[in-house]
Amino acid sequence: MRIQHFLLSLVAIVVGWGCHSQRQMEANGAIELNFWNGFSGPDGAEMEKLVKKFNLDNQGKIKVRMQIIPWGTYYDKVTLGLAYGGAPQVFVLHVNRFPEFASHGVLNTFDDLIKDSRFPFEDLAPKAWEAAHWEGKVQAIPLDVHPLGLYYNLDLFAKAGITRPPTTYKEFIEDAKKLTIDKDHDGTPDQWGFAFTWLHSNSLCFLNQFGADLLTPDLKQSGLSTPRAKEAMQRMKDIITAGVCPKPEGQDAWLGFQTGKVAMVLEGVYMVKGLESQEGLRFAGAPVPQFGPEKSVWAGTHMLTMPSSLDPKVRRAGWKFIQFLSANSIIWALGGQVPARKSVVQSPAFQALPVQSEFAKQVEYVHYEPKSIDYNLIATFGDSAFEAILNNSDTIDHALATASRRIDNRLQNK
Amino acid sequence: MKRNQNLAAFLFLLPYLTLFCVFIVGPLVYGFWISLHNWHILGKSIPFVGFDNYSRALKDDLFHLSIVKTAYFVVLTVPLGNLVSLLFAIGLNQNYRGTTLYKACFYLPVVLSISVTSVLWRWLYSSESGLLNYYLGTKVQWLGSPDWAMPSLALMSIWWGAGGNMLVNLAALKSVPTELLEASSLDGASSWAKFRRITWPCIKPAFMFCIVMSIIASSQVFGQSYILTNGGPADSTLTVVLYMYRQGFGMYQLGYASAVAYLLFLLVLTLSMVQIRSLATQMNRY
Repeated sequence: MRIQHFLLSLVAIVVGWGCHSQRQMEANGAIELNFWNGFSGPDGAEMEKLVKKFNLDNQGKIKVRMQIIPWGTYYDKVTLGLAYGGAPQVFVLHVNRFPEFASHGVLNTFDDLIKDSRFPFEDLAPKAWEAAHWEGKVQAIPLDVHPLGLYYNLDLFAKAGITRPPTTYKEFIEDAKKLTIDKDHDGTPDQWGFAFTWLHSNSLCFLNQFGADLLTPDLKQSGLSTPRAKEAMQRMKDIITAGVCPKPEGQDAWLGFQTGKVAMVLEGVYMVKGLESQEGLRFAGAPVPQFGPEKSVWAGTHMLTMPSSLDPKVRRAGWKFIQFLSANSIIWALGGQVPARKSVVQSPAFQALPVQSEFAKQVEYVHYEPKSIDYNLIATFGDSAFEAILNNSDTIDHALATASRRIDNRLQNK
Repeated sequence: MKRNQNLAAFLFLLPYLTLFCVFIVGPLVYGFWISLHNWHILGKSIPFVGFDNYSRALKDDLFHLSIVKTAYFVVLTVPLGNLVSLLFAIGLNQNYRGTTLYKACFYLPVVLSISVTSVLWRWLYSSESGLLNYYLGTKVQWLGSPDWAMPSLALMSIWWGAGGNMLVNLAALKSVPTELLEASSLDGASSWAKFRRITWPCIKPAFMFCIVMSIIASSQVFGQSYILTNGGPADSTLTVVLYMYRQGFGMYQLGYASAVAYLLFLLVLTLSMVQIRSLATQMNRY
């Protein structure tokens, strides 16, 4: 056991090499907070502005040092830091990863801080606020709600004589047919009406609109072997067989939208800043059309959290920073987000953001991924099935049955 | 005297031995110990589960699939990669101007890291703006199609690694006795006959060495599938090491990931021993 701790501590030391010790943090009078996140895109610049503003407002008292770690390796570092030392004082978790961390008791609880500071929790989007609870205690503050939405190319829409974005499946297919063009008549369109980009969020959105999910509501078994899940997959496949959408292309599909070869995509609001910097692209955003019988849309949320073991002074400083970020999230919205604070969303400054305000219309009916501590263990099984179905390398029944078997096995043998 | 010599030898070995024990033997033993436990990084307790993780892996259809996909990658890269290396080496063994430049050019990809190589090839493979589709006049989804993804990774890997084996083969070609080749020329032997009867027997051990090393390296393929396809689409590029990585660093199931690592280790060890034995038999023949 000692050797085990020694070796793992060694790893943790390497990981947290840049982190200061608690004592160092208070050496110059000011409490230093390390703030980790994975905002490596344009959103990072907006967060940097917020951190600078906070540091200026709290000069000599609290100093926040932000470290951006790309999401690909972010959770490895956070996990190692929490397990073996070197964790930051404030860090971001995605809503779908929150249960896993909360269930291991590594997150701080905020109930007393909320009460003492009269934090306006009733101003937060209800679903995001509910998601921040674990076993009846608040262990995070939701910073935003980033739903999927429909991005569409205004020039291609105008050329096709379409005046407004589709809102139903019927309208969507009709528009997509008008927008699909085979210029060189070689049988493969050169311009597609629609393309699936990130299959994970796109597929879950379809599943949710058909009343299905990766797990059953009790979170005990797979929810993919249901007739509703099959209907959802069939609807996605129908879009491809209608000839208006290529087989999944991932990054290339997004590139296709950026370069005007794809007219519509379903992507997160966080992609808006990247599109704004794309020269010659005129685009707009709209809520996701109604593909299934239920009004639902996939969404994620960035949760602000703190580790469970913190010095009281540092904890209070961290809480002050979290409150600041939440209250000033209009700046965060500029980076391509929908703030979790209702008052910020209703403000004229936010409503002036064309894409963000359109996507924000969906906040009340967003659907998060299952609030399961095992979600991270089973999510990839669904993704493989969706890829196989839409690439025609497996049937809907077989692919979903395989994914369900893997999910159930994993839930039983974790 | 002999005792002093042994002590001196031991002292000379000591620095390497220390590093070897700390960084190779230690983690090897520790990894095995981890594989006998059910261990989540954030878990408060680490229950001992014996060989449960091994039996779970042996029953896991995704682990089976990852072995099949890894074997597919080995079959795609090892024969073709070694053939390309040999052809390059034969080409560079001729006497013409600029061979040094060609040698450097063919070897250059080897010094690139897999990350750089993958990013480079991602642009080539892009179905929207990739050079490959542009010059071939096709609309193939090189990385997006389950049928094409693994051959695409294999092609990139051959380009990346052919230069290394080329040097080994070239060194072997340089050591072929010239008097034998000259004597056979005088006897009127054709180029093919000279290669088959003289060159090939001389370079065969080196070539077989390259094959063994390529199989070991290809069995542990990771960077290509991690960076370019992340195991997809539809698990078509899910290799054993990527599967192990996902278990360990994606899902934090350290015990299970270590068991998968050990199973791969045993598989590669068995394969290597069979090949080394066959290599030794071949070498004894010449």
